[in-house]
Amino acid sequence: MIERLLNIDRRIVYLAVFFAVCIPLLIGFELPIKATPNVRAVYDSIESLSGNPDAVVLISFDYGPSSQPELQPMALAILRHCFSRNIRVVGVTLITEAVGLAMQAFETAGEEYGRVNGTDYAFLGFKAGGPILILNMGQDLHGAFPEDIRGVATSEMPITRNLRSLKDFDYVIDLAAGFPGVDEWIAYGQERYRFPLGAGCTAVMAPDFFPFLQSRQLDGLIGGLAGAAEYEALVGKRGMAVSGMRPQSVAHMVIIGFILLGNVVYFLHRSAVRKGPAA
Amino acid sequence: MNRENIAFPVFILLFAVVNGYLLAAGDLQASWSGFGIILAAGITLALYSFLYRDNPLFKLAEHLYVGVVAAYELALVWYQSILVDVVNPLFRPPADVGVRWLVLVPACLGLFLMTRFFGRGVWLSRISFAFFVGLGAGLAIPRRVASFIIEQIEPTISPFSQASADFGWAVLNPAIILIGVVSVLIYFYFSVEHKGVVGGISRVGIYFLMVSFGASFGYTVMARISLLIGRVDFLLEDWLHLNPPLF
Repeated sequence: MIERLLNIDRRIVYLAVFFAVCIPLLIGFELPIKATPNVRAVYDSIESLSGNPDAVVLISFDYGPSSQPELQPMALAILRHCFSRNIRVVGVTLITEAVGLAMQAFETAGEEYGRVNGTDYAFLGFKAGGPILILNMGQDLHGAFPEDIRGVATSEMPITRNLRSLKDFDYVIDLAAGFPGVDEWIAYGQERYRFPLGAGCTAVMAPDFFPFLQSRQLDGLIGGLAGAAEYEALVGKRGMAVSGMRPQSVAHMVIIGFILLGNVVYFLHRSAVRKGPAA
Repeated sequence: MNRENIAFPVFILLFAVVNGYLLAAGDLQASWSGFGIILAAGITLALYSFLYRDNPLFKLAEHLYVGVVAAYELALVWYQSILVDVVNPLFRPPADVGVRWLVLVPACLGLFLMTRFFGRGVWLSRISFAFFVGLGAGLAIPRRVASFIIEQIEPTISPFSQASADFGWAVLNPAIILIGVVSVLIYFYFSVEHKGVVGGISRVGIYFLMVSFGASFGYTVMARISLLIGRVDFLLEDWLHLNPPLF
């Protein structure tokens, strides 16, 4: 029996994890979601801008379809929060794959709150360069992005007409899944132009950014689907991230179960091997 | 024919039957949108089929992905960067600005990189590489040293000077961070043999590293499960139209 458990087919583990994800998605049950201080800090920063008719937030969508399940709910929750408080939002991206996702997020949240493209929000699209583009945006935003994604001049759009540099944004949020991402926004943007910066990232990257919270280079951090769920709960509009917490929690329990089982079986096997020659 | 060779034809047949049913029932529309969902579902299942074993369906989906991404990126870079930043300023400039001849400099540097494909003009690409290396180093070194080293040193030390008046629990977290930083730095300091006091401190550094790896691995598991949730949700909701939760 112990030998069989030690050599368990990995496909059985995959199947167990698949059902652990599938079944909780099909069965509805509520889990308590409490916002952590790092997520609440991003929420509070945006909340502090409500009531300011000139407030503009910049969101850099630096993720692709491979990290869409984690970061797209985050983007939607932040956009809904901004639009519900009449805060204008400008979007850019440093990577090509994000263009379609960012447009989808703006259209979805914009329609829900009746926001107008070019006045209440704008998506300036993609430009090559990564870190150099950030520096360029800090020096001359209109030069870095002469047109938005539709081809409308940024110097003529009501929302971007008076924005000359990154310093003109009241808050900047980077939603990142790799390079270029949060590191580059800190080194080439926040450190140089000194604007308040928040970040949302995949769970894999989150531990790397905790030191920047302590040094206050980041004023808040939304990490992974759990962070997105916390933000959705704060905004009060529960979406994919909150419903994703059910399978996430059950899958984690299954994985912890497998880790415990593996260790128990390993130690049982080791003690059996040690007893073997003596017997 | 063994069981594993039968599995994939059966999978394709089952996929076709399910899609036929969904189209007949009206859950999926016979349109480009419906075709897109079927294609996305098929590619998702083909990629996950690798968990069973490597197979031609996985290979097909993998190569399709590489090809699509390359074409998508090329189109975006053309329309959003090359057209707007190079072609328009040179050939279709606004009347009040005029032709921006300076654009020729970065455009030529970019074109020089293409000479890597041709034997005789390959030396031109070295000019571009020299420029990129010089620019990259000049920009990156001061910015990264300032942001990731100098800015990090201050918060590692400063809480102690601030907490000296009321030395209590407030100093615990900074103390743990300081012990972690010092012990890990000593663990990676190989000029002294790790014995005695140095060995003891480096062992503490190993424990800190193990905790760090554990936290990273935990977050990695969370991230991978999140991606699986996204795909399973797509399959259940967009493809099969089960509209979860059912109960």
